[in-house]
Amino acid sequence: MSERRADPEIAEMPGPGALPRKSGELVFHHEWERRAFALAIALCEQGHYDWDEFREHLIASIAAAGETPETPNPAAPGYYEHWLRSLERTLAAKGLLPG
Amino acid sequence: MSDHAHNAPPNPYLEPRRTQAETRALEERVAKLEQALIEKGIVSRDTLDHVAEIYENDIGPMNGARVVARAWTDPAYKQRLLENATAAIAELGYSGLQGEHMVVVENSANVHNVVVCTLCSCYPWPVLGLPPTWYKSPPYRSRVVIDPRGVLAELGLDLPADIEVRVWDSSAEIRYLVLPERPRGTESSSEAELAALVTRDAMIGVAKVEA
Repeated sequence: MSERRADPEIAEMPGPGALPRKSGELVFHHEWERRAFALAIALCEQGHYDWDEFREHLIASIAAAGETPETPNPAAPGYYEHWLRSLERTLAAKGLLPG
Repeated sequence: MSDHAHNAPPNPYLEPRRTQAETRALEERVAKLEQALIEKGIVSRDTLDHVAEIYENDIGPMNGARVVARAWTDPAYKQRLLENATAAIAELGYSGLQGEHMVVVENSANVHNVVVCTLCSCYPWPVLGLPPTWYKSPPYRSRVVIDPRGVLAELGLDLPADIEVRVWDSSAEIRYLVLPERPRGTESSSEAELAALVTRDAMIGVAKVEA
């Protein structure tokens, strides 16, 4: 029973920050996306920031790109590019971004 | 299988969009960040290695468990659930379905229901989270239709010969959820206590709920 579980606050994020999923499964196109995903969650789990802090950066980054489900734009950053940028911003705000 | 329309909310990020060179640059950026954080002792390699796996294998089936517990404790809700599961599930605030209908099938002393998607791996993810790996495996998808008792027995559920087994094949349009039998000895349990007993496997129909 000590098995670690996915945090629904992350797994079921609503709105524009929602994790890309196909048939319920997470969609990673490249290994770096999976690693960025793991980094953001692990650092939050270890108490370096609250998930909301990361999520606000994520939503702001996505909003700034101006892409919506109705107006997809493949030239804009992909989801995990936003994710990575948000991770860097969150870490920078905490003074944890390695120089 | 692209015409077998799927179910994630419209999400613009389902296709890769970067060239190889751009991907390489992103790889390096992540690798550098990861290495620096590990060297500083801010995060461990071991933790990182498990996070993605956990999220890929388990996005909690708690929404479905709450639906089941409500049906066990509120007969009027149960009736609505069996009549129009899509609406009854939405009542509890669970959305994310994209035009698929939910159908709830009830287990009883005489009938056991089990769900499969023979065509691919359709699954009621807004209520059950991520499908388990075996759900998507070709052996489960093909054999549960031909020999449901045998497959259920292999998964640890031995059903008496006099119980009728019904197999429900999910599709892009219809997603099934099994309403398991409420376990004996839980008469005084609260709805929240009951929800904690309900497992994903019981709602797919490959296990019973144990008290």
